[in-house]
Amino acid sequence: MKRLHLPPQIVRLVLLTIGIVGSYLVARYFLTPPSFGEYGWYRGSALAELASRDQVYAGTKACDECHSEEYQKLLGNSHKTLSCEGCHGPSKAHADNPDVKPEILNYSHCVRCHEANPSRPKWHKQIVARDHYTGDRCTECHLPHQPSEAP
Amino acid sequence: MKEPVSRRSVLRKISAALAGLATLPVAKTAQAAVQKILVSASLPRGYDPKKHKWVMAIDANRCIGCGLCAEACKRENHVPEGPFFRTWIERYIIAKPKEGSGEARGETFVDSPNGGMHGFPEPPVPKEDIQHSFFVPKLCNLCERSPCTQVCPVGATFDAPDGAVLIDPKYCIGCGFCIQACPYGCRFLSPVTKTAEKCTLCYHRITRGLRPACVEVCPTQARIFGDLMNPLPEDPIQRFYQDNRVQTLKPHLGTGPRVFYAGIDKEVR
Repeated sequence: MKRLHLPPQIVRLVLLTIGIVGSYLVARYFLTPPSFGEYGWYRGSALAELASRDQVYAGTKACDECHSEEYQKLLGNSHKTLSCEGCHGPSKAHADNPDVKPEILNYSHCVRCHEANPSRPKWHKQIVARDHYTGDRCTECHLPHQPSEAP
Repeated sequence: MKEPVSRRSVLRKISAALAGLATLPVAKTAQAAVQKILVSASLPRGYDPKKHKWVMAIDANRCIGCGLCAEACKRENHVPEGPFFRTWIERYIIAKPKEGSGEARGETFVDSPNGGMHGFPEPPVPKEDIQHSFFVPKLCNLCERSPCTQVCPVGATFDAPDGAVLIDPKYCIGCGFCIQACPYGCRFLSPVTKTAEKCTLCYHRITRGLRPACVEVCPTQARIFGDLMNPLPEDPIQRFYQDNRVQTLKPHLGTGPRVFYAGIDKEVR
């Protein structure tokens, strides 16, 4: 068998190419995350990382576990579509540990939805707060969980 | 010159090949060690992204502009302070046409002070000059053919199989191409992480069987969230379609949004 004699510059070029391609393949082998391409041309475990974030809002179901009496009152009245945490504030910490109190309720919260505004839909009940009542709290006359009943 | 094949050279070659084979498991272990750093979390048990298709419907007729959704989004997702929003509310005010102008509608005013989080100030037009006014909640439009993912140079943003358009924060280099590409202005560059951020549909909530925070707190059910693959009994999305004439934003761009709107005017973009 006759040995093939290549010019030295060609040998160097071939070796260099093998070196570059080889180091790329080695780097790719080590650095490509295993989940890459699981769902598409991206890192599949990114989904899991985004899904592993902590909640801040617990959800009404969690409130219902302990405060079902209040929740049933709410469901039986015109505020039934409201979520607990809309008024009481985010309560995941409170749901995990009842000793952690949720945010203190702001009694001027009602006007956030019910202050008259020409952009609000007509079906929505609205008041001009300063003409409506000048006292401290809406709850002096209204029950937030049962707005259509007088206290 | 030809070397004779000796016993020694053959043995040397065989042992080299064996050593080469032995490095494979070593390489595998090393690879696993490297990748352990890159992989940390797993999806909640029982959640398969291929078995869901999330959609959002917005009934603007029901939006009262209270801003609870924008505020809940900010708190749930730790969105940085300042003009950065994953969801926000826009107020549209369409004035009456000027007398004798021969037009049907007047000028349109759009504003969203602080994303509508803390309500809206007095309208810029006197009340009696307003022809029509309404609120429109905005968020990522969950495009079927999302322009933002097409322009990402590092493949950091992608369309998840369940319909959410997400960003891999570890891959994002913060170049901002996607922010320019989004025709709905739904992305921003976070001053904290220096990466692009956007609505994830509260991915950490929907994968645990909860609703996104904005849908959770909406007091009038203006936001409706659903799964096209697993419709609920009396599916709210189907009812939304039955009860309304539904449209999407900027349909002429061909992005195929999966956020559907009812009760908005052509002025809304």
